[in-house]
Amino acid sequence: MTLEVHTADVQVRGLSRRYGSTRALDNVDLTVEPGVTGLLGPNGAGKTTLLSILATVNEPDAGEVSVFGLDPRDRAERVAIRRRLGYLPQELGYHRHFTVAAFLDYVAILKEIVNRRQRGEEVARVLAATGLARYARKRISALSGGMRQRLGIAQALLGSPDLLVLDEPTAGLDPEQRLRFRELVSNLPGDPVIVLSTHQADDIAAICPNVIVLLQGQVRFAGTPAELAATATGHVWTAQARDAHAHLSWRGGDSLWRHIGEQPPAGAQIVAATVEDGYLLLSQRAGGQ
Amino acid sequence: MGVQDRLPASGRVSAAPDEPDDAVLLRRVAKGDEGALAVLYDRHAGWLTMRLSRRCGSADVVDHAIQDTFLALWRNAGSFRGNGDVAAFIWGIGIRRLINAIRRESSSRPRLPWRAAERDVVISAEDQVLVGIEHGRLAQALARLSPELRSAIEATVLDGLTCGEAAVLLGVAEGTVKSRCHRARQALRTALADPRLGPETPANRQRAWGTP
Amino acid sequence: MTSPYTGQPAEAAAPAGHAGSSLLADYAAGTAGAVAAWSVETHLAGCGRCRQELSAYADPDRLARNRSAVLVRSALPESRAGRVLRRSGVPDHVLRLLAATPSLRASWLLAVVGVLAVVTVETGFVEQAGPGGPPGLRGLMPFLLVAPLLILASVAAAFAPALDPAHRLAVAAPCSGLTLLLARAVSALAVALIPVICAAFFVPGPPWLPAALLLPSLALCATALAAATVVGPVAAAAGSAVLWALPVVALAATHLPLAVVQWHAQYACAVVLLVAAAVLLVRRDRFEFGWNR
Repeated sequence: MTLEVHTADVQVRGLSRRYGSTRALDNVDLTVEPGVTGLLGPNGAGKTTLLSILATVNEPDAGEVSVFGLDPRDRAERVAIRRRLGYLPQELGYHRHFTVAAFLDYVAILKEIVNRRQRGEEVARVLAATGLARYARKRISALSGGMRQRLGIAQALLGSPDLLVLDEPTAGLDPEQRLRFRELVSNLPGDPVIVLSTHQADDIAAICPNVIVLLQGQVRFAGTPAELAATATGHVWTAQARDAHAHLSWRGGDSLWRHIGEQPPAGAQIVAATVEDGYLLLSQRAGGQ
Repeated sequence: MGVQDRLPASGRVSAAPDEPDDAVLLRRVAKGDEGALAVLYDRHAGWLTMRLSRRCGSADVVDHAIQDTFLALWRNAGSFRGNGDVAAFIWGIGIRRLINAIRRESSSRPRLPWRAAERDVVISAEDQVLVGIEHGRLAQALARLSPELRSAIEATVLDGLTCGEAAVLLGVAEGTVKSRCHRARQALRTALADPRLGPETPANRQRAWGTP
Repeated sequence: MTSPYTGQPAEAAAPAGHAGSSLLADYAAGTAGAVAAWSVETHLAGCGRCRQELSAYADPDRLARNRSAVLVRSALPESRAGRVLRRSGVPDHVLRLLAATPSLRASWLLAVVGVLAVVTVETGFVEQAGPGGPPGLRGLMPFLLVAPLLILASVAAAFAPALDPAHRLAVAAPCSGLTLLLARAVSALAVALIPVICAAFFVPGPPWLPAALLLPSLALCATALAAATVVGPVAAAAGSAVLWALPVVALAATHLPLAVVQWHAQYACAVVLLVAAAVLLVRRDRFEFGWNR
């Protein structure tokens, strides 16, 4: 299978990866373009595996990957991809005794910024971008979880990468910090390809112009959040009480029950579907298989 | 050109009475006060950048030198003995950091700006006082020197560099710097025909030219 | 400033006036004549007001950029050892990469020295108190067992992912995984060797003992590194430790503790070292993916 190479984006064809008897990824095809793309799915859906393959730290069992026209299977091209890569892994550990500035300096050296002056300026730039400038001297062990997450995002931004792979970047952030993250990620210079994963639909709705829903290692949806919401149009209704027709029900803040199902009963109060509704419906359908 | 106030020259920035002076700031920096370093930067980085830029055309190299200067200040603030002007101390560090930065760079860099247009600047009356009083007959003699000789003297005397350091700054061999200084002094001596100019020791040189 | 010939110090000779604004502007633009510029500079040395006026001509963005870079760089830690090494020419980025190695930290080294001290003192005790066996050599077994294992532990700490919290980042970085690992392992080895060799001088034993410890330690560490490409870092380190402990203990049981560092053993260690180096070279791509699969 040949890949048409558009050097401005990331393409994956027929990607498969298993761990023992579990299929983490099953014949995944997708194309990611510049801008923010959200990977939505529950834990265990294969998001982390997919992101780690895009970040060249994991090898697929089958399939082809093309990042900016480069093939990570070739050693030299893999290094070339890594030069343009910023990666936030899911459980990033920090050297506890390091200060914020020292840690960022360390990562900058790993990214081959050898010149001391350039490194200092680059670290200062990402500290300013993530609002961590006044914590430069603080030890990482003294930071809160949210600040540590911001530090993780800051290190990914070092070197102004063309591909940003962020695994659960909004986990542990409070709503105000999420807002700042959204602004940061939408205003990065140079129009990089940004792929981030989350299991919260409202993050997708707010940040990502493109969504990919991954369930049980397979791509179930690729499109815009509006299109994802549209898949549930006509399948969401509210009622005063539980409804046996519904696959999923929960009580909303206005004490009305919200139901999602394939066949709403006649005369049901159909409401507009949200991104989350679309996602839940897809999960239901996938769970049934 | 307005009338200048007849203020006494001072080593301090004309600051509000409650702002600490440079020596106090430097002592605080020696104790690890980062805020004091920031204040010193805000006071001195501007003129230092302009002055260093006059000696080196590459902005990157000057930036590197500026950063290294204040870092050196951060690490060695304790070595200031309080026996002089802080600005002069900073200048001494700065010019040497510039030399280091130039050495590190490749040999291809823009020529020094002071070789640029030497047009006849119309000097105001006040400035003539400044220029005239400082150098008197020396100014005319200096003006008659060729630029190469003048820049050699400037580097070794005004900046107080060794011949080796001046060689790096000017981009010529050390021997060339020495011979140019020698010829410049001879030319000036001839121009001034003053027997009171003593032997060429650094102390005498500095006294003669009135550098800090 | 009075006449230059009177030799008065600069402070007292500073002029009563200041540099005019247009002269400063010309100076800032680089168009002041050399003599005028010279005068300005001499005046600047003693006048804060004119320095401030000149500062206004500097590009504020450039000043701000350098300012934040200075504050960041001043926030980076500076150790005395680091300063010495930097002056002797080791590049700054190499030093900072190595600084992240756990086995180069003071706490680790203190622990190593502590264990060595205990073992060394203990050999002295056994030597004095022990009855049978070749005089004084029975007590060497603990030292011969522990010393190379301490070096192995230092090197293992240099590449164990559990001790390098940001190892996932190191994998995704363009900096070659093997180069980084080797740099850390070699510096951990060198630093750990020093107390071990020193302790070997204090232990009651033959005078060639310090030198004899070198090859076995090197072979041990190389084996662990090479095995790590096959079975993973933890298993490799543990396995290598066992591979050393077995002969030491077995030989000590037959009253020949020194056999493990004598000529035959040295040859064996040299062979092991070469084989391990070859395996490392062939399988060096394993380090590109961290320790995944």
